[in-house]
This record gives sequence, C-alpha cells and structure tokens, in this order.
Amino acid sequence: MSTGGSFRQAWLAETVRLREAHWGPLQDSTEVRRARAEGGTFSERILRRAAFLGRREKLDTTLQHWAQIARWSLIAMLALAVLTGAGTGLGALGDGTRPVNLLLALAAMLGLHALTLVLWLAGLGIRTNGNGAWLGRLWLSATQKLARGPDTALAPRALAGLLGRNGALRWSLGAVSHLLWLTALLSLLATLLAMLSTRRYAFNWETTLLSPDTFVSLIQAIGWLPARIGFDMPPATTIRISDGLTLLPEGSHALWSSWLIGCVVAYGVFPRLVAFAASIFQARRGIRALGVLDTSLPGYALLRPRLMPPSEGIAPDAPDGPTPQAQVRPLALDASAAGEPLVVGLELPPDTAWPPPGLPAGVQNAGVVDNRGQRHALLDHLHAHPVPRLLVICDSYQTPDRGALAYIAELAAYAQETRVSFTATETQPGPAVDDSRMDAWRRQLQAAGIPTSQIHASLATALRWLKDAP
Amino acid sequence: MTLLTRAGAASILRLAVVGHTNTGKTSLLRTLTRDPCFGQVQDSPGTTRHVEGARLALETGQAIELYDTPGVEDGMGLLDYLDQLSPPSQRQEGPDRIAAFLDSPESTRRFEQEARVLRKLLACDAGLYVIDVRDPILGKHRDELTVLGLCGRPLLPVLNFINSPRQRADEWRTALSRLGLHAAVEFDSVAPEIDGEARLYDKLALMLDTRNELLQAVKNDVLQQQAIRRDDALRMVADLLVDVAALRLASQPDQASVESTSGKLRDQVRQREEACVRELLQRYNFRSEDFAQHALPLQGERWGMDLFHPQALKDMGVHVGKGMAAGAMAGVTVDLFTAGMSLGAAALVGAMAGGLWQGVDRLGKRVMGRLQGYRELSVDDAVLRLLALRQLALVDALQRRGHAAQAPITLDADSAIDTPARQALRSGKLPEELTEARSQPRWASVSPDHEDSPRREEVVRSLAGRLAA
Repeated sequence: MSTGGSFRQAWLAETVRLREAHWGPLQDSTEVRRARAEGGTFSERILRRAAFLGRREKLDTTLQHWAQIARWSLIAMLALAVLTGAGTGLGALGDGTRPVNLLLALAAMLGLHALTLVLWLAGLGIRTNGNGAWLGRLWLSATQKLARGPDTALAPRALAGLLGRNGALRWSLGAVSHLLWLTALLSLLATLLAMLSTRRYAFNWETTLLSPDTFVSLIQAIGWLPARIGFDMPPATTIRISDGLTLLPEGSHALWSSWLIGCVVAYGVFPRLVAFAASIFQARRGIRALGVLDTSLPGYALLRPRLMPPSEGIAPDAPDGPTPQAQVRPLALDASAAGEPLVVGLELPPDTAWPPPGLPAGVQNAGVVDNRGQRHALLDHLHAHPVPRLLVICDSYQTPDRGALAYIAELAAYAQETRVSFTATETQPGPAVDDSRMDAWRRQLQAAGIPTSQIHASLATALRWLKDAP
Repeated sequence: MTLLTRAGAASILRLAVVGHTNTGKTSLLRTLTRDPCFGQVQDSPGTTRHVEGARLALETGQAIELYDTPGVEDGMGLLDYLDQLSPPSQRQEGPDRIAAFLDSPESTRRFEQEARVLRKLLACDAGLYVIDVRDPILGKHRDELTVLGLCGRPLLPVLNFINSPRQRADEWRTALSRLGLHAAVEFDSVAPEIDGEARLYDKLALMLDTRNELLQAVKNDVLQQQAIRRDDALRMVADLLVDVAALRLASQPDQASVESTSGKLRDQVRQREEACVRELLQRYNFRSEDFAQHALPLQGERWGMDLFHPQALKDMGVHVGKGMAAGAMAGVTVDLFTAGMSLGAAALVGAMAGGLWQGVDRLGKRVMGRLQGYRELSVDDAVLRLLALRQLALVDALQRRGHAAQAPITLDADSAIDTPARQALRSGKLPEELTEARSQPRWASVSPDHEDSPRREEVVRSLAGRLAA
C-alpha cells in the first residue's frame, strides 16, 4: 500500500468522517475557522479540517499505527505462506519410500489454489467487494484483531470505504491474496526443485475405473501448456507404461518431474503472477484517483454551509444613533381658533373614497395630502386659520414613518386637539390589517404625544367627535 | 483579509440595499445571503438603524458585498432641506448636493438615518431599491427616489411582496418608468421564485454591463449551489429511506413482545426521520436553535399526523393496496425470522464466491431465531412511501423558502410538483433500491450491527437519482 500524501489525507478525512457519522460531530469551530481562513475549494477545506481534527484527536497516529500493524501482519502471513507452500510440497511428494501418485500430488499442490482462483475470477463478474480475495480479507481482519485501541476499528473501515468506492478495494485485497498465493506457490516450487534434485522419486498413476487411454490423453492435455513454455513432456509410450506395474526406462522419472514442475509453474505460479500484476495495476490506478475527494458523501453535505458559508458578515458602520422623535405641541386652549373643525387624509392610496362616507356638515375638508406642495399649502392655511379640532386620517396598511409623524406633529401645532383615525379598517375590502401595523401606529403616535384616547380605530367615532366635541 | 488582497478591489461589486422603511430590506439581505440570523427583522418601522453588510464570496476570489441600510423615512423633509441647502436655481449636480448635505448639521440629527443611507449608496456601485408593492405610490416615495437618484448611482427597483393579493406591481412599474427607472425585478424575499436570484443578478448585469462577468459568475454560482443543495438533500432523504427500509427488529413470537417491539421500531423510525429533518434544515441553513419558527415541522401538530397514523397516508395521497393493520401494529409488517437472508440468486453466488464467513456469524443467530420461532418486524411499504413523499415535500418547501421567512414551514401535499417519481411512490410499488435494502438488515444505521458497505452507498446514490426524477 503506497503512502502517498494525498492517499493518507483522503484516508484521514474518511476516518474523521466515519467517526463523526458514528459518534456525532466533533467540536470543531477552531478547525473550521482555520480551514476557512486558508480559502480554497470545498474539498481542500474538508481535507484541511480533517488534518487539523486528526492531529487534535490523534487519529493520524492511529492510522500510522494501524498501517504498521498491517505491514507486520502481512509479513507474518507471508512467512506462513512460505511454510505452507513448503509443507504442501513435502506432503505431496512424500518421503520417497512410495512412488508419487501423479494426479493426487498435482491435486494436493494446486487443488485449493485452482478452486480459489476460479472463485475469484467468478467474483469479478459480480459487483461486490473483495469476493474471492478471502486471504486479503483474512489479512484485514487479522490486522483489525491485532490493532487495539479506541479508534483502531475505524482505520480499516475508512480504508475499506475509501477503496471500495472506486473499486480499488477488491483489487487491493485481490493483490494481497494473490501475493500470498504466489509466495506459497513459489515456496512450493522451490521445495519441489530441492526435493526432486536431492532425492529419488518414482512416479506413477493409478486407476481402478478408468482406462489407460484416458490417462494418456488426460496427462497429455494437462501437459500441453507446460510444453508450450518449454518443459519436457513424457511421450505417450512412457505415460502408458507409468502405471506402477512396469519398470520404467532410464530418464522417464526426470521427464515426470519436469511435467510436475511444469504444471506448478504453468497452472500455479504463472496465473497467480498475472492476477497479482493485474490487481496491483488496478489498485494503483484506483488509489491515484483518490486524490479527488468525493464531496457527495453523507457527512460532507452538512459541512458545506460551515466550510463554504454562503456569506460572511461585514461589521456595522457605526453604533445606532438616537431616534429623533417629533413632538406634538397643541395650540393653547385660549388661543383663537375660530374656524370649523378640519379633516385631512394623509398619504391615502389613490383609490380611497374621499371625502370619507358619513362626513358631517360643518367640517372643513382639506382633502388628501400627499406631495410636498399639498403639505405646504395645508400648513400655510392652518397657520392663517387655526382650528379647534383636527382629524388626520391615515392608512393603517402602511407603516408609520418619521416623515408622516413629523408632519402630523406640525399640523397638530395649529389645532387645539388633534385626533388620528384610519381608513383601512372599515372602508376597504380585502384582508384585515395586520395587528402589528396598527400597534406600530399606536406606539409611534403615543411617542409623538398623541395619547391612545385620541387614536380611533373606528372612523365613525372619530367623525362624530369631529362634529361635536364631547 | 487575504481574500481581498488576492482578488483586488476590482473584482468586488458593492451593492447598497435601500428603500422606504419596513419594505423588507433586511429580509432581502437574509434571503440573498442565506443567513437567517442577519440583522433584525420585524414588522415595524426603523428596525434596522445602522448599515451592516455581508459578503458573498466565490471560489475564484471575486465577491459581491451587500449592504443593508436603515429605511428612508423622511424623504420629503430631506428634499425640503436639500432645497434649502442648495436651491434648485443654483443648478448644482446631484452628488454635490448630497455632499453638501452630508456636511450639514442636520445630517447628524434629524436626517441621521438618511445620511447613513446616502453615504453608503455613494460608496457602492449600485443600489437595490426595495419596494413593498402593497404600498400605494405616494409623494414621499417619489421624493425619496429623487434624493437617492441624486447620488448618481444606478438603482434597480426590487418589487417585494409580489405574491400578496394587495400588490400594486403594475402601478409601481408605471410610476417607476415615469421616474426614469425602466428596469425592475420581482423578488419576494420571503418566498422567492426558484430562479428569482438568478433573474435578479441577470437584471443587475444588464444595468451594470461593465461588471457583467462578475455578475454572471455570481449567478452561475447561485445556480450551482442550488443544485448541490438539492442533490445533498435528496441523498439525505435516500439515506433515511434505506435506513428505514433495512431496519428489522427481532421479536419473540408472543403477542405482547411483538407489540412492544413494534413500538420500539416505530420510535426508532420517528427518531431517524427527525434526525433527517434536522439535517435538511441545517443543510438549507435554517437553524432551529436560532429561530423558533424554524423548529422541526414534525414536532407537535405541525405536520398534523404521526407517520404511522393511517390518516397520514391518505393526506399524502398514498394508495394502500391491502388493508393496513391498525392500532398497536399500524405500519409494521411482521414476518417469520429471516435476518434478511432471503437472498436473490446473485447475492447467493456472491456469498459463495467469498464472503461466506460474513454469513457464518449471522447463520448461528438465524438458526437460533428460527428454532425459537422468532418474528421479525419491519416497516410497512406504505409507510416507507409516505416517508419518502413527506421528505420530498419538505425538500421542496425548503428549496423555495426564503431565509427571511418567519412563518412556520408548512408542507402542502397537493401543490407539490408531481414528478414521475412521486406518482410512482403514491401508487406503485417500492423503488427497487428499497426492495434491495429490505434484504440487508445491516444497512440500517440505527441497528447495532450496522455495516456501511459500498453497495449501500451505491444504492443510496441511485435512489437519490430516482427521487430527483
């Protein structure tokens, strides 16, 4: 397993992700801030945050520890494979006191290997992970058992998840499996060579059921591939007489050893070597692709708003200033205000009915005041002719603003008493006024010096007051 | 600011959000920045009393800075005062008149708020003039626009509350044209259109053609982030569905145990749904801890119905083939114990081909369970479909919800966009991904022997893709 920087980073990030997925999110405000401060793309920020968190939580040393144990357990398993290979070789040949049964020896040496190889090949067709690479799996679980600690279980899971996502896991585990088999087979081959060089073995075949012709064709068929590689094959006559009953001519045992070794090389070492090379190639390709982080994984979605916030705040320009507040100073009661009471609509929508329905006679109608010219004209008029009672009608759908309140206060200075009422509540169909708007009007008018008793939600009562003061 | 120095000031566009008081300027900022905590929002005048900004940064280092300003409240008084400072007869240029005002004593007293607005607008590249289209067009609005126009900055009117029945958008458009503002954009800050933001930036790009490149980049980023958010959300929903589909609880065969186990199963499913909702809210930047209004829609009577209540199925339009169990067993299917080992042929071959021992430790459990006649409880298909529909409706609601929204999240089963995926969920059988999840009890993240396999991730992805259809 190569330990390239980006691979380690990705592994660490995956470990942190899994840890958070299982035990809840880590407290990471410092790490997030640091990762954010350095900028970069979302994946870069994730990796950076994982690196900071990994260092803090000592996950990086856990991974290192785990990788070390994985290496040692692989070495141990390789040693075991060497022993197994040698043992199988010795077992298959026996101690030389009895002739070696060719087919049984071949089956003992290559049977399990062939079976697992076929299963692995069959597993390639199925899109699940690590099928058939059970030696690789065994290595993974052995490491898991050996590495102890609170977070050590995370390391292999993160690794498996990481590699599994782009199919590198099956190839990695396959590579480990094939490496172990290859070692065992090479050790077997070495044992065979050593034993066959230093001892005398007799070879034969035995059968009760089959005819000798079957054997001849079977052995020749098996020997076809080794013969291509250059191993000497026993001719048909030699095969036929190697039935254990006939005395074999000089050199035919050497031919049989060559057949046996050829079979181990052609059907054992060679396919495993090819499979190992293919697995390593694919695994490396997959691991190289790990440099690109998959940001669509579950935990990352929630990190995005924090690592890549849609916006950052900019501090206010200055502290809030004081609120200037208009104040009503009504006309003194003894001042001359001989004119008739006056009603005015302030900033009413153009589609409001004006004058208000039910406007009593003997009341001056100042119309609806909207623009600056109208405002000034009314002020000039009132300045010349102050009134005893003034009713300002506002639109309660609108928000009271400082401009309107300041104007109401200016108007109120020319009346002995000023009251405020609203149109929207009664005259306009449609949705009811929000209570919050009404409250805002009351609050603002009160602050300007018009008490609640002088604010009429109902226009009719206000008009009655205008006609004849109580 | 490393960001600023790297990019240089040229790649930053500054926008001042201005307007009459209480027209939703801060709401607009909240929605554009996706920050539900930005500033203060309240239905009353003068809630915002200072200028506060937010930066929308792109990965390229470019950025848009948006500034929220106090509402203009006394445009008429200000115009009077401006005329007093520099009478129109002097024919001074607008920005000079504004500069004279900013030096005057009243700019720190009666017109202190207005001075802040004008100062900011002068410092920005353009202004977004927010209009509450429910308001009639009044003299004060015209005067206000005149004052803002004196700053010599392009203004883009933003028609807010466009969905209100009392809106006067057409009147506003006419009035704005008369004032020389011919471009305007509709943008409801509480319930923006899905492509509302993109249209806003498009309009701005038309107005500020020298900054076209930056604005297009921002717009593309907005669209991209929107797509990413939706993908993320659908994956969360798919993850939830796989979890719930895979969940199996073993129970002893007697009625009492089956009932208590089914209660446990339902609790686990409810908790899992709640967790998913919380994640969705978080992903869309609605934080329940910041805002009571963004509280989980599951709590209390918000959604009106418990997931396992038969009425909830009807409300979401989920057709149920066979009669569903009611009472203690509603929404729960009881089977003979299989531990999910009802494998298909492919899985069987796979198991033979290598993963055999994975099954071995479970085999013991399974044989024991069988022998003791255990029952196995899982969530009913109809409930799974309901869960999917509910979460999809929530994703839709969140997708459309502005970050200024103050009303609780409501799910509308009828108005939901009727995609083929939803129709299938309502009437048809389960998606095949969920059928596969059914046979994989280990995929349930709430189960104690949960194992996250790459195949599960694949299934979640493919299910998310199906839900998006």
